[in-house]
Amino acid sequence: MVETGKISLFLAFAVSIYVVCASVYGARAGKGDFVKSARNGMLAVCFLLIIATGALIHSLVNLDFSLKYVALNTSTDLPVIYRITSLWAGQAGSLLLWALILSVYSALVVLDTRTRSRLLMPYVVAVLAAITVFFTYLICFVENPFQALPVAAVEGRGLNPILQNAYMAIHPVTLYLGYVGVSVPFAFGMGALLSGQLGDEWIKYSRKWTLFAWTFLSVGLLLGARWAYLELGWGGYWAWDPVENAAFMPWLAATAFVHSVMIQEKKGMLKKWNMALIILTFFLAVFGTFITRSGVISSVHSFAQSDIGPLFLGFIAFILLFSFAMFLYRIRDLESENRFDSILSRESAFIFNNLLFLGAAFAVFLGTVFPIMSEALTGNKILVGSPYFNRVNVPIALVLIFLMGVGPLISWRKASRENLMKNFLVPVITGAVTAGVLIALGVREVYAILSYAFCAFVTATVFTEFFRGVAVRSGRGENPALAFVRLVSRNKRRYGGYIVHIGVVVIVIGITSSSVFVTEKQATLTKGQSLELGGYTLTFQGIEQYTTDAKNATVAKLEGYKNGKPIGPVSPEKNIYKYEGNREINQETEVALRSTFTDDLYVILMSYGEDGTATIRVMVNPMVSWIWSGGVVLLIGAIVTMWPGGRKEREEVFVRYTLHDRDRTAKV
Amino acid sequence: MLKGKLKFIIAIAVIALAVSYLVYGGVKDTMVYYLTVKELKSKVPSVYGERIRVSGKVVPGSIKHGPDGSLEFSLSDGGGDIDVAYSGIVPDIFKDDVEAVVEGQYGSDNVFAADVLLAKCPTKYESTEALYNSGTEGKGVKTY
Repeated sequence: MVETGKISLFLAFAVSIYVVCASVYGARAGKGDFVKSARNGMLAVCFLLIIATGALIHSLVNLDFSLKYVALNTSTDLPVIYRITSLWAGQAGSLLLWALILSVYSALVVLDTRTRSRLLMPYVVAVLAAITVFFTYLICFVENPFQALPVAAVEGRGLNPILQNAYMAIHPVTLYLGYVGVSVPFAFGMGALLSGQLGDEWIKYSRKWTLFAWTFLSVGLLLGARWAYLELGWGGYWAWDPVENAAFMPWLAATAFVHSVMIQEKKGMLKKWNMALIILTFFLAVFGTFITRSGVISSVHSFAQSDIGPLFLGFIAFILLFSFAMFLYRIRDLESENRFDSILSRESAFIFNNLLFLGAAFAVFLGTVFPIMSEALTGNKILVGSPYFNRVNVPIALVLIFLMGVGPLISWRKASRENLMKNFLVPVITGAVTAGVLIALGVREVYAILSYAFCAFVTATVFTEFFRGVAVRSGRGENPALAFVRLVSRNKRRYGGYIVHIGVVVIVIGITSSSVFVTEKQATLTKGQSLELGGYTLTFQGIEQYTTDAKNATVAKLEGYKNGKPIGPVSPEKNIYKYEGNREINQETEVALRSTFTDDLYVILMSYGEDGTATIRVMVNPMVSWIWSGGVVLLIGAIVTMWPGGRKEREEVFVRYTLHDRDRTAKV
Repeated sequence: MLKGKLKFIIAIAVIALAVSYLVYGGVKDTMVYYLTVKELKSKVPSVYGERIRVSGKVVPGSIKHGPDGSLEFSLSDGGGDIDVAYSGIVPDIFKDDVEAVVEGQYGSDNVFAADVLLAKCPTKYESTEALYNSGTEGKGVKTY
């Protein structure tokens, strides 16, 4: 198995090189056979990497401790499911996963475009293969997961207990599916630049794939936040850690892209901007992988420190130089077909949305690399922490939420007074009333009031849209439920997008509530004593200890009451893992969490004394569960948007806009 | 048309300036110096009362738990060590010899009063030496 894996990896590397050459040669010399052979080569690479990954999983499951990777990441007591997920627990495996996902995506692209886009595709395939060359090179020659140990180990080092968690098992893959997904629209953009096919084709595919990658990035970020919340035991879900930022930056850029791409589709504008944006998004995705995998910026997560850093930097520099050189070479072909008419228009709302997303990405980038930059420039290592990120990003986010309400309702080209009145009267009133009620209730936090008011505003605009659509249909005699289903299924992109917006609103409400109105208290309790916080009462019953095969657990037994009514036992734990091994971490704090619609009771056992006392920290985090529910809504919306079918209608819409625009140009 | 374009330029400039202002203000008000223990020692007394972040290894045997969950320990980086007093959530991976990061103020009593304590997750130092000691004491040897 190990030999098979090794050979498959090497072949994947060799075949990718062939694909780059054959595809480019075939396209330039007009030799269709070469282009076709390159496409088949791409499928072969995918096949080979599946075999290699299968071989590695086989070794992990069967605990082949003669392999360094297996010995470092598994142990005999590890359940099979976590042996499989160890595939992405270490450096070499993660890189293999990157390459595997990329090759699967590339194969899908090849199959999806079998007979279409003959001029564009050879270059797209070449770019995808070129990225594969880099990653397979790293796996084959720098960080080979099949590298053998000089002497087989007797026992492996095992997996950190805080990583043995369902969220941690799927969160990295989800993020990788997103990171790698960004390579595809980038390849289309580069393919368009290389081939000179700068029409609508590349934009159509890029949009689809960016949306796909964006969805995985969003879900991956939320899963990571949820994992941190459940496992890390400090009561929060986001800390602006470099590794978190690494995933957040491409998300910001991809969000900007999925919006601005609509302007190009509908109006033939922003062509340069979109091209630059997709290059930037890909750069941030690779940079994110680089930060996560190289340990260049010290982070609490601090993964492996290894020698892939310089290679990654070289790769990043190459991408930037090559892409922008191509961009400048074709810049004349990227002229806009239309002009901006008015600052009060949907176009300009999108422009502002984009500038703000990029502003946020820039601020996060700067904050993340600040220690490196300051050290290089002044010799002093200076950090900026969470306060910096919050201060900069909260105002930007508020304006973005506001725009999220404006964008969908304001008219294209130039908004008239009637348009503004007709569309915005109800939503603006809803927002204002929300703000008024909050102030009357005694809320004085300006950011919180603005956030809730804007959320109400956005919700009202989205509901207005749904209501109008349904009213028009049911006016024609359809029953409202059917009208709703048809409305959404016939305009998936538009209404799916609205559902995503609602998901974002729900998430924002959760974030606002939990960050502004969190309360916490810490106390050392003796048996029988109680602690009160935010309507909750916790009565300490004593310390208990129990032992399982894997751990010695110490539990603080607490009886919980909410407003006098019993809510059952609340039992935060501290566990000492028995297995000595080389896991380095043998202690784990297990928080007790009781999550409801309105708030989360989050109890941490800080320490316990010989005398039977326990020090506990209690937090009441309002509406945290909204963040996770909002994530589900967002995912549903994204699925609606991407659901296949209805393409015909979409193309009709597309044609209509184009005609309309030609009409206009003719008149001018 | 020129007027329309001007409006756009003004709007974009406003956004750019606002973001720059936020970034500038944010950096100015929240920046902290990141020092090693040795650097901190060399900068006494100018660092007294400044907000700083220090990293170093937890000196084995120095961790003392107070009754109310407070914590005292020493950090070292080979070039000296400092005493740290901390109260708050202790990361699970915090223990002897681990790489820790503290943020707070270095007082003139030469005790670092920390309100942030982070411990670097060492699990993924991929050194092979550790593999051959498993079963025994076996703490992973970090190889930078």
